[in-house]
Amino acid sequence: MTFAADRLLGIVLIGLAAFVAVQAIQLEVPFSYDPVGPRAFPLGLAILLTALASVLIVKPGTNEAWPGRQLSMKLLLVLATLLVYALLFTKLGFIITSLLAVASLSRIFGAPWGKALLTGGLMAVVSYFLFANALGISLPSGYWVEPFL
Amino acid sequence: MFDFLIHGFDVALSPLNLGLALLGALLGTLFGALPGIGPINGIAILMPLAYTLGLPAESALILLAAIYTGAEYGGRMSSILLNVPGDAGAVMTTLDGHPLAKKGLAGPALGLSAVSSFVGATIAIIGLTLFAPLLAEVAVMFGPAEFFALMVFAFASMSVMMGKDPVKTAIGAVLGILIGTVGVDSSTGVLRYTFGLPELYDGIDFVVMIIGLFAISEILLMLEHANRKDGNDGLPPLGRVFVSLKEVLACKWTMGRSGLIGFIIGILPGTGASVGGAVAYTTEKRLSDKDNSFGTGNMRGLAAPEAANNASAVGSFVPMLTLGIPGSGTTAVLLGALMLYNITPGPMMFSERPEVAGGLIASLYIGNIVLLALNLPLAGVFARVLTIPRWVLVPGIAILAFVGVFQLHSNLAAIYLMLIIGVFGYLLRKLGFSLAPVILGYVLGGLMEQNLRRALSISGGDLGILWQSGISLGLWIAALALLLLPWLLPKLWQAKTSKA
Repeated sequence: MTFAADRLLGIVLIGLAAFVAVQAIQLEVPFSYDPVGPRAFPLGLAILLTALASVLIVKPGTNEAWPGRQLSMKLLLVLATLLVYALLFTKLGFIITSLLAVASLSRIFGAPWGKALLTGGLMAVVSYFLFANALGISLPSGYWVEPFL
Repeated sequence: MFDFLIHGFDVALSPLNLGLALLGALLGTLFGALPGIGPINGIAILMPLAYTLGLPAESALILLAAIYTGAEYGGRMSSILLNVPGDAGAVMTTLDGHPLAKKGLAGPALGLSAVSSFVGATIAIIGLTLFAPLLAEVAVMFGPAEFFALMVFAFASMSVMMGKDPVKTAIGAVLGILIGTVGVDSSTGVLRYTFGLPELYDGIDFVVMIIGLFAISEILLMLEHANRKDGNDGLPPLGRVFVSLKEVLACKWTMGRSGLIGFIIGILPGTGASVGGAVAYTTEKRLSDKDNSFGTGNMRGLAAPEAANNASAVGSFVPMLTLGIPGSGTTAVLLGALMLYNITPGPMMFSERPEVAGGLIASLYIGNIVLLALNLPLAGVFARVLTIPRWVLVPGIAILAFVGVFQLHSNLAAIYLMLIIGVFGYLLRKLGFSLAPVILGYVLGGLMEQNLRRALSISGGDLGILWQSGISLGLWIAALALLLLPWLLPKLWQAKTSKA
């Protein structure tokens, strides 16, 4: 398992190096007095990366254990929560999205529903006033809460 | 010669900066004590705060440095009480610290580690005060070629010293440097790796990078430990709260020696606290472990890594302040933070910006005393932080990360980028990479390229300039020697033992 992971990584890295190199070569450089230009450095890095990745393929190292099915599901849930948090952040405003995101994260990390919702409510409201009023950060309040503030 | 320090105390003793040093020490200790959050994560999460407050450069640096040293103090909590090191630097602390806690001596162990941390840090701060201006005077002679060679040396030293896998450390550094090349090339105006996205024209933003790489990946990683033991299932009783003077005095030479070792190792670029702690522990075991009790709760076995940890943390400021080359991942973050203020740390900083260099050093003296004063009586209070359940901690980190990135950019692209970098960081950590080389590469990469190109435009493209001077040649040889050492040393060792 670990062998396969590091070998695969090595191949991916060589792919990345090739991509970096191709992109660098395709750069259109206007005339300048700089004898090196913007291409050489990324090209050098791509060569170094290829060499290092080859070592990795020949002599793979050790990895941590990969998450099982249940953990992977939870990981995706956390990522989905963060993504939805970002998507709705400006639309629904800080307080309501934070409440939802915090409650959901709390729940995924093992809190019962009641505590998760309570944490969400408290954290969203307290941090809004802390950030917006005490520290003067402008946070999206969401159009619908304006009248209440 | 010490004008900068007097000036520095003027700066550090202003009410604002004194308050920030206090706040940083408190926040740092709290964040360091949080389970699973090491100094670097703590700084990453709290850094946007420094910008939010609209602080001048020296004040921001004082706040961040206090958080850094505070987190080194706080990190021992989970090592001693729960046997869970917050970061690599705290691993050695668990060896004798946790057995002490199991013997019912958790209180004295925490007290002793606070005193050792104080002694180690004090030795290192004095070292920093004496040594940094001298090094800065040498470094003034550095041209672009020397700086390029120095950075090569820093990466070589890091690959060999940091982590168990030199190849992965090097790959991490290269990836970091590559991430740093995204954006407009400053000397020609050419756009590199921006894929037509205007959000990337200015490059990948430092705060987005730091928060994504450390805070978001930490959230994902914590999921794995969610089912593992938490502070919830009971802290060991602290026992008597204060460490006795006799116990402290029994360790005085241990602390002195380890502080010195930690400082010297901290100066080497890329090594940081983990190596310092390990070397001090093994040295002390060899010197003073007469009854073979190291690892079973020996006070000296706790004092050694704790003194060395904090000494290395301070020592890593030496190359950062004088050469602009950070000694550890955490100082790399601090360096990046300074660059946001358009200050490039380097040999000129002591003469051009004495308020920054001197103010920082003076604030380290003050912060260190504050930390001892906070940590001795309040160990029990800080220990409570360990019982914060993850289902409160994780959403809190998420909110801080979102607000931190959003308030700097007010756009969602930055938040998406933060999430992508977080997943990238998570994958790297799962693949056995350490994140410190990545961040070091990201911070230093741009400077490395600039210096290379400047050197070559001086010579008109002749590569020879890179190793023409004595200093740069010496650095190349040292880098090469470091890279070859791990292969050569075992062979020399074998030759020696087979002869004997």
